[in-house]
Amino acid sequence: MTAPAISAAGLTKVYGYLVAVNHVTLSVEKGALFGLLGPNGSGKSTMIKMLTGQIRPTGGTATVLGLDVQQDPIGVRERVGIIPEQETPPSFLSAAEYLQFVGAIRKIPDIKERAAWWFDFLDFADKKDVLCKDLSRGTRQKLMFAQAFIHKPELALIDEPLINFDPIMQHVVKDYLTAYVKAGNTIFLSTHILEVAEEICSGFAILHKGNILHTGTVSDLKTEHRHLDDFFLALVQRDRNA
Amino acid sequence: MPELFIAMVKEEWRVHSTMFGSISFALFPILIFWIAFMGSFLLPLMRQALPAGELSLVLHANYLMLGFMVGAFGLLGAEVMNRRFGQASLLTYSARSLPLSERFIFANFVIKDTLYYFVLWVFPLALGFLLASPFIGVPVTLPLLLSLTLTLSFLSGLCAVFFLSSVYSRSKPALAAILVVIAGAGGALALLTGQNPARYFPPLMLFTTFSWENLVLSCLAIAVLFCISIWLFTPETSDATKHYPDMLTPLARKLSFFPTPPLAAKDLIDMYRSGGMVGQTLFSFAIPLVVIWFFLSLLNGYLPSYGVLLEFAIVTGVIASTMYTWITMFDTYGAYACLPVSVRTLIKSKIASFSVLQLIPAVFVALAALLSGQVLYLVPAVVLCLSISFYSLGITIWLTGLSPSVLVYNVKVMATYLVLIGIVLIILSAVAFAAPFAALAAVILLLPAAFFARLGFAKWEAREQPGF
Repeated sequence: MTAPAISAAGLTKVYGYLVAVNHVTLSVEKGALFGLLGPNGSGKSTMIKMLTGQIRPTGGTATVLGLDVQQDPIGVRERVGIIPEQETPPSFLSAAEYLQFVGAIRKIPDIKERAAWWFDFLDFADKKDVLCKDLSRGTRQKLMFAQAFIHKPELALIDEPLINFDPIMQHVVKDYLTAYVKAGNTIFLSTHILEVAEEICSGFAILHKGNILHTGTVSDLKTEHRHLDDFFLALVQRDRNA
Repeated sequence: MPELFIAMVKEEWRVHSTMFGSISFALFPILIFWIAFMGSFLLPLMRQALPAGELSLVLHANYLMLGFMVGAFGLLGAEVMNRRFGQASLLTYSARSLPLSERFIFANFVIKDTLYYFVLWVFPLALGFLLASPFIGVPVTLPLLLSLTLTLSFLSGLCAVFFLSSVYSRSKPALAAILVVIAGAGGALALLTGQNPARYFPPLMLFTTFSWENLVLSCLAIAVLFCISIWLFTPETSDATKHYPDMLTPLARKLSFFPTPPLAAKDLIDMYRSGGMVGQTLFSFAIPLVVIWFFLSLLNGYLPSYGVLLEFAIVTGVIASTMYTWITMFDTYGAYACLPVSVRTLIKSKIASFSVLQLIPAVFVALAALLSGQVLYLVPAVVLCLSISFYSLGITIWLTGLSPSVLVYNVKVMATYLVLIGIVLIILSAVAFAAPFAALAAVILLLPAAFFARLGFAKWEAREQPGF
């Protein structure tokens, strides 16, 4: 049995009096498209930030691709792709320059060719010379998507990757993610769009107020003839009432 | 429409209190008050070396410069806020969504800044001086007059920046022409009267000789600048379709001797495209320093011949160290959070970019030495300036990491900075005045600079960075 792509044990993040993530333990196998689901403010983004070494956990441990996140956050970020919650490419670089910049930091030799492929694939080649600050949110999201996958990482942690895309682009991206996972890679996706999760995720966890309420697989739900959104709403409602 | 004005004041307070904490920020005017109160007791001592009038010149110059800097920040505020807080937006930039004209909002913005910074900077200083005045034999009217003239100095700086930037947005050659005319007028005034033209700065004239004419002149100068600024004001229109050639790749190649060429290239592109290279150099560096030169040159009679140049080099060094804020104000660590870049790497890269920018103060001080006929002391002046700049940089990195423009208002940070810088400045001033070439020894400051920077690397690497 191979080591999991992501393993978290008792992961906790506390901000003052707010427990954003509370002793979360989970494991994501390699080759999975895992969805972390939860309403706004449930701690999904905080989880991704902790798993990518962007913020330090208050408690617990996590390993990503076998690397201890707290011991080697830069090592983790070298090997994974990340799409943050807010699309924040540098304001005064053009889209093409930003991908060049990412390529230079990540030491990608054929960055020009790869960037050209992404501009074509996500259909924004006409915007490649426009400054990031002047791009629409959707185009900025395309750019962030490209930077996360341009170094062909074996694991990508992506926070609400479809939220600013139009239906056509959503379709393109969902197909890409599915093919990416079929090629043996892993995706850890955070979203509150349950249709997306139900459509493309294999495993999922439901997070509410920083606590994991449930972990399971979409196929198990289908076997039980249950829909993810009904299941999710019932679970969150029960937790709210508890 | 007072609602907008009140909302802007609240917004300004919340911006600062969010960044520094309510209590910490509220303590800032108390710190200014305390410095003014305690400093007032040193006045009798200072008077033995310098007439009180000359001290007031330096004070007015400082408030004029504060006006310049606040005005410059106001113009760049939206971009800075967005980088600092993500999707932040200020009321000043909300005209598109409110049924208000941009000119009306701009006018409210200027009035809000005046009141806000009066309460923050001018009032505490005047109050400290006022409360100390009975103990040091100063008439009570003097602090009251000072509070008026310092406010007018601040406003002059603020409106001058708005005026110059409004002209700049309309026509760059017109701005150049105006600056040449101002320089020419100053020179002509100096030739005709045999006096430093800084003496004709209206708020200073008002402080030196109170008269209703001088008061009207001071107010009129500000009002004219303000009205022309509003008249010339053009709302920013961004051309979303504007295309830019790739500068990053060739620039990074040219900077290959840097530790991380793409980061350094990005810093320089940020500055160039944001207008910071010209704007910051002009409004936050060149203009304030020219003003300071004028004021310092008033001390010619009280200092050795090389004294003004070396004192200017010291002040330039301190101001040059603020160039670190130029290269950190447009991004937060959050922009790098999805890349394998550590805080240490990022700060080191900023130091490299900062080192390139130090060409500006070096050339500036060298020009001052040449133009003032003190070419003999050019090398000590440049060494003094750069040593102080790098020393201040080391302290800034240690105290504020990648957020110097945010943490400067933190009372503890500010007090530590002032003490660490102040001690060195006093010692260096004394050494330089006693033996100008001994100022070359200032190069030793590079050691504590490196020490503080290393402390900073460890400190900020261990901390969670803002912007996530």
